[in-house]
Amino acid sequence: MTVDLAHYLAVSGIIFGIGVAIALSKRNVVAVLMGIELMLNASNLAFLAFSRFSGAFQDGTEPLAGHTFVVFVLTVAAAEAAVALAMAVLIYRRRETVDLDRISVLRW
Amino acid sequence: MFLPDIPELMIWAIYFAPMVSFAVIACGITIPRMGFQARHASRLTITAIGLSWILALWALDTSIGLDGESAGFAPHEWLRLFDFEVDFGVQLDSLSALMMFVVTSVSLLVQVYSTGYMHGDGGYARYFMLMSLFTMSMLGLVMASSLLQLFIHWELVGLTSYLLVGFWFHRPAAAAAAKKAFIVTRFGDFFFMIALVLIWTKTGGIFDITEINALAAQHQLSDAVLVGFVLGVFAGAAGKSAQFPLHFWLPDAMEGPTPVSSLIHSATMVAAGVYLLARFFPTVEAAPGEVTTTIAYIGAFTAILAASMGIVANDIKRVLAYSTISQLGYMVMAIGLGGFVAAIFHLFTHAFFKSLLFQGSGSVNHATNTFDMRRMGGLRTAMPLTFATFIIGSLSLSGVFPLAGFWSKDELLLDAWHHDKFLWMVGTIVAFMTAFYMFRVIFLTFFGEYRGGEEVDVGHDVAGPPHESPRSMTVPMIILTVPSVLFGLFALNGFGGFIEGTLPEEIRHFKFHMDSVVLASSTLAAFGGIGAAAAVYLARTPKPEQLGRAAGPFYTFAAGKYYVDEIAEGGIVRVVLHRFLGRWIAAFDRVVVDGIVNGTAVGARRIGDIARRLETGHLQAYTSMSMLGVVVVIIVIFVLSGNVLER
Repeated sequence: MTVDLAHYLAVSGIIFGIGVAIALSKRNVVAVLMGIELMLNASNLAFLAFSRFSGAFQDGTEPLAGHTFVVFVLTVAAAEAAVALAMAVLIYRRRETVDLDRISVLRW
Repeated sequence: MFLPDIPELMIWAIYFAPMVSFAVIACGITIPRMGFQARHASRLTITAIGLSWILALWALDTSIGLDGESAGFAPHEWLRLFDFEVDFGVQLDSLSALMMFVVTSVSLLVQVYSTGYMHGDGGYARYFMLMSLFTMSMLGLVMASSLLQLFIHWELVGLTSYLLVGFWFHRPAAAAAAKKAFIVTRFGDFFFMIALVLIWTKTGGIFDITEINALAAQHQLSDAVLVGFVLGVFAGAAGKSAQFPLHFWLPDAMEGPTPVSSLIHSATMVAAGVYLLARFFPTVEAAPGEVTTTIAYIGAFTAILAASMGIVANDIKRVLAYSTISQLGYMVMAIGLGGFVAAIFHLFTHAFFKSLLFQGSGSVNHATNTFDMRRMGGLRTAMPLTFATFIIGSLSLSGVFPLAGFWSKDELLLDAWHHDKFLWMVGTIVAFMTAFYMFRVIFLTFFGEYRGGEEVDVGHDVAGPPHESPRSMTVPMIILTVPSVLFGLFALNGFGGFIEGTLPEEIRHFKFHMDSVVLASSTLAAFGGIGAAAAVYLARTPKPEQLGRAAGPFYTFAAGKYYVDEIAEGGIVRVVLHRFLGRWIAAFDRVVVDGIVNGTAVGARRIGDIARRLETGHLQAYTSMSMLGVVVVIIVIFVLSGNVLER
């Protein structure tokens, strides 16, 4: 059995789904952030897969288009994790909780 | 004639000198830091208009040298929008040169007079600012070579007239009179504007007055267009020149300062209507005969109607206002009868003696603080100069040989005699009435016993026994007696030929002559009027009260101004405009226009009320919604274009 695009996308989709489920269901901010990391990495996998199976890779004109994207996503994800965790710490200091249901002040 | 030909730039200078004066005074009033004082305003205005007057004399001299033919200055491009092109220029021919001369001379004398009359008034600088603007507009009107240029200044004249009549705006009567003057003349202007658009569309964008006249004279315009255009122009002229049925604003306009009436209600603004008809005289002539006949009859009717109201009015200035309406009716009648020269000649002489008479009434008012003749009397000893000049003005207006009014009125009645005997009879009766009401004024004001005057009113500082006015007021009056006496003699000196220079050769038909019947009857009418007035108001046999009772309903009608004001205000404005039109328009405004505006606001708020419920503050609710959005988008794409992956 050869591993082709559909398999990669299936794995990517499953990971993304797990990430969404975590992000939507967990109350803890840190757990939600973990779910988001999963979603990001699922999209990275999809990028790589599309890049690898595209015509531009086959004929060698643009072999690394998807990889470039992944590098950027990783960088942004690292920055986002740093900022988000810092915010989580600050929120905890002020409100003594990281329960998302209790942090709902920006509302009508 | 005596001087070299005037360059075009100098004609523009006639127009721009008062404009500069206006602009400087306006800046001086609005910017306190300039240190502008009220007395500078009058000096500046008099200097500017004096300069205009000298240049206007030069222009007149040049025009006489050209036998009144157009000097042919090329117009300049003023505005160009794609195919729409408007040129502005100056027209120098007999008509405009004469009008420039009249406007600047009367205006100059009125400004000098105003320094005395308006002395100490709180709005002194504002007054001279407006007078400058008015003079500028009027000069722009008479020198315009393009119909649009003329129309712009026409409206400017209307605007300044509004501001000047309502100069003492804190008096409700003055404010109302100003509004009335503006709206009634504007009503006529509305038709003038229609005529303007009509001629513009039908000639393919021609605004040049000479070209329009040439097209009409060569019968290149259809009769329907000509009728529409001439009637539209006439409606505009009727508004400005106070012709029936738009005459009722002029008597009320007497609420303005007297020098204002002396300038704009005798010589300039009200003459603008006659000037307009004269300017388009070749077009008017080319129009079907019924149109000119209508114009002539409206003029004659106005003349006799206004004269009858002049006989019963008790306010000295209003008598003069009715007299002006009546004399303008004469001019309009002459235009309608083809008497181009007669109309302009009468306009020319009337400007001077009517201005003189208004200044005389102002002088009387200065002494007695009232315009009501029932409270005057016996002023001839107290105010000898005013009395003498007023007598000369009245004699001229009544058409007594050999004063100016005699020649022009005779010219006018002669035209009527040749074209329409009925109108000639009306004209002669009006001449009788004119002499009667003018000498009624004189006997009531200057003869008999002094009946008290009135307490101090706005802007005046005199009470006590009447006295002669200051020299700044009497000198202009004395100067004005010269044209009032002598300018009629131009009739003997080729005035007609000069004035007709502006017309194309084909329609020049003026020949100076006199007709003994016309001459005798008009002189008889003048002296008859004077004698009748003397009998009633000097000898008091019969007494005026008896006469009023004898006339019965006629007296009541005339004293009630034929109830034209009531019909116009009560009938047309209140019922037709307010109840009928106004109510519907107001309802439309409230329901539809306000409905749209308020509906938009209310709708936006309702939608906002609903939409803001989505803002729960729960992070995961937002995420769910955005995920749901992604899912929906994916489904939509799949449904619309099949499997994305397999393409």
